[in-house]
Amino acid sequence: MLEISDLSAGYDGVPALRSINFRVGPQEHVAILGPNGAGKTTLLKTISGTVEADSGSIRFDGQDLLPQSPHKRVEAGIVHVPQGRMIFASMTVADNLRLGSHRRLARDRHDERRELVLDIFPALADMLGRDGGALSGGQQQMLAVARGVMACPRLLMLDEPSMGLAPRAADDIFEGIARLLKSETTAMIVVEQRAHEALEVCDRAYVLESGEVALEATNRELLTDERLAAAYLGSEI
Amino acid sequence: MVEFLQFLVPGILIGGVYALLASGLGLIFGVMRVVNFAQADFMMLAMYLSWALFAGGFGLDPFLAVPAVFVVFLLLGMAAHWLFIRFVIGRRENHDAQVILTIGLGLIFQNLILIRYSSEPRVVAPSYANAGDFIGDIFISRVRLYAFLLSVLVAALLFLFLNRSRTGRAIRAASENWEAATYMGIDIDRTNRIAFGVGVALTAVGGSALVTFQSITPFVGFRFVVVMFAAVVLGGLGSVSGAFVGGVLIGIIQSVSQVWTSAAVKNVWVFALFLLILYVRPNGLFGKVQRAI
Repeated sequence: MLEISDLSAGYDGVPALRSINFRVGPQEHVAILGPNGAGKTTLLKTISGTVEADSGSIRFDGQDLLPQSPHKRVEAGIVHVPQGRMIFASMTVADNLRLGSHRRLARDRHDERRELVLDIFPALADMLGRDGGALSGGQQQMLAVARGVMACPRLLMLDEPSMGLAPRAADDIFEGIARLLKSETTAMIVVEQRAHEALEVCDRAYVLESGEVALEATNRELLTDERLAAAYLGSEI
Repeated sequence: MVEFLQFLVPGILIGGVYALLASGLGLIFGVMRVVNFAQADFMMLAMYLSWALFAGGFGLDPFLAVPAVFVVFLLLGMAAHWLFIRFVIGRRENHDAQVILTIGLGLIFQNLILIRYSSEPRVVAPSYANAGDFIGDIFISRVRLYAFLLSVLVAALLFLFLNRSRTGRAIRAASENWEAATYMGIDIDRTNRIAFGVGVALTAVGGSALVTFQSITPFVGFRFVVVMFAAVVLGGLGSVSGAFVGGVLIGIIQSVSQVWTSAAVKNVWVFALFLLILYVRPNGLFGKVQRAI
C-alpha cells in the first residue's frame, strides 16, 4: 500500500535520509527503530509532506504522493500523530477530537468515531470539556492518538507515542493501541525508542542508522535472534 | 461624577469601534504571523467605498452598506493574500519582505485614492448625523451608538464563526499550531487566505462604522494605525479577544483622560498605560504563554 524507493531528503541541504527503501503492506504494522538522529521522524514527515523529498519516490496505492500537498495526503488516508503530541492546548478535548475528523471522509462519522476512541482510551471520556493544555502528559498523548484515529486512517503513523512518559503511562498508550488494532483494519507505522513495546504490536521492523536502512526484519527474527537483538535493540531484550 | 460618565460613555462607544478595527489586525497576525501594515489603508478604502455608496447617487446609509462592504473586502483581502501575501508567509527570513510588502501596499492604496479623489476631506452625513439622546444627564450621539452596536454585533458573529464553524475551528487550529493543523488535513494556504480576507473585512467594517463622524482623506489611516497596533499588543499578540479588550480600553482611556488633561495629549495616556501593562505582563493582557514544548 505504501512503497518508498530510493528516497532522500534533508534540511537545507543537510541530508537526513539517504536512498531509503521502505514498504508497508495493507493492514501491516511496521515499527521503525533506531537511535536519535537516525532519520525516523524525517521519514514520517516526508511521508506526510511537511518535509520535502530531494529525490526518490513515495507511492500510496500506486499513486505518486510527492507532488501532493500535505492535506491531500490526509484526504488519501495518511494520518500522522506527531512527536511531542502537538495537541491544541487552548481548545477542549472535544474540539481537538472534532479537528481530528476534519478529513472529508471522517466528517459524517464523527459521533461513531468518538465512541470508538473513548472505548480505546476511556480516561478521555471524563475530560471532553477540559482544555487540552490542562491534561497530563499521558492524557495528552492519548488525545493525540485518539485525534489521529478520528480521521479514519488507512495508514496511521505514530511518532514516539511513549516519549517523555512514565512507564505506567506508556503502558496505557500501548494498551490503547493494541485495543485499537483489534477493531480497526488500518495499516500502521510506529516510531519508537521502546523497541520491545513497539514490536509487540508490529509485524515487521526497520532499523534506521544515520539516515539509512540498516536492517529490515520480522519481529520474530528480531525478538528471537540474540545477535540481532544485541546489535540493534540494546541490552533490554 | 456626571462629567466623568459624560466622558466614559463615548469612550466605551468609540472603543468598540477600535476593538473591531484591531480584531482584524489581530486575527491576521494570530493565524499567519504577518504584521499587516496595510490594515489601516484597507480601512481607508472601506471608508471611501461607504462614502461612494452614500454620496455617489445611491444614497445608501453607511450602516446599511455594511454587508456589502464586508463582502467586497472579504474578496479583496483574499485576493491580496493570493496575489502577494502567501509568498511571504512562513519562514523567518521572510519577515523583512512582509514589512516592505504591506507598507508598500498601503502606500499604493493611499496614492491611488489621492490621484482619484484628491486630498479633500469627504464627509458622510446621514440625516441623523447630529442626533442624540439624553439618558439621565448623559448625552449619547446616535451615530456613535450605532457604530458601537454594529461593532458588538460583528464581534459576536466573529466569535460564532471562530468557535462553531468548521472553517473557524480550522483557523483557530492553524493559529495555535500550523504543523499540527496540517496533520489534521487542514489546507493551511486556504485557511490563511480566508483568515486574511476576514481580517481585512473586519477592519473594513470598522471603517464604515466610523464614516458618520470621521471625515475621510487618503491618509486617514494614520489616525488609527497606532490605536490598532496598540490594542493588538495590549491585548496580547495573536489573541483576537485580547485585541478586542485592548481596543475598548484605549477608547476609554483616550476619552476619560480628557476629564483631567487636554484632548491633545489623550494618546500620551494610552501609551503610558501601554508601557505599564507591557512592563507587568510582557505578553499582553491575554497573551498566549510561550511554551517550551
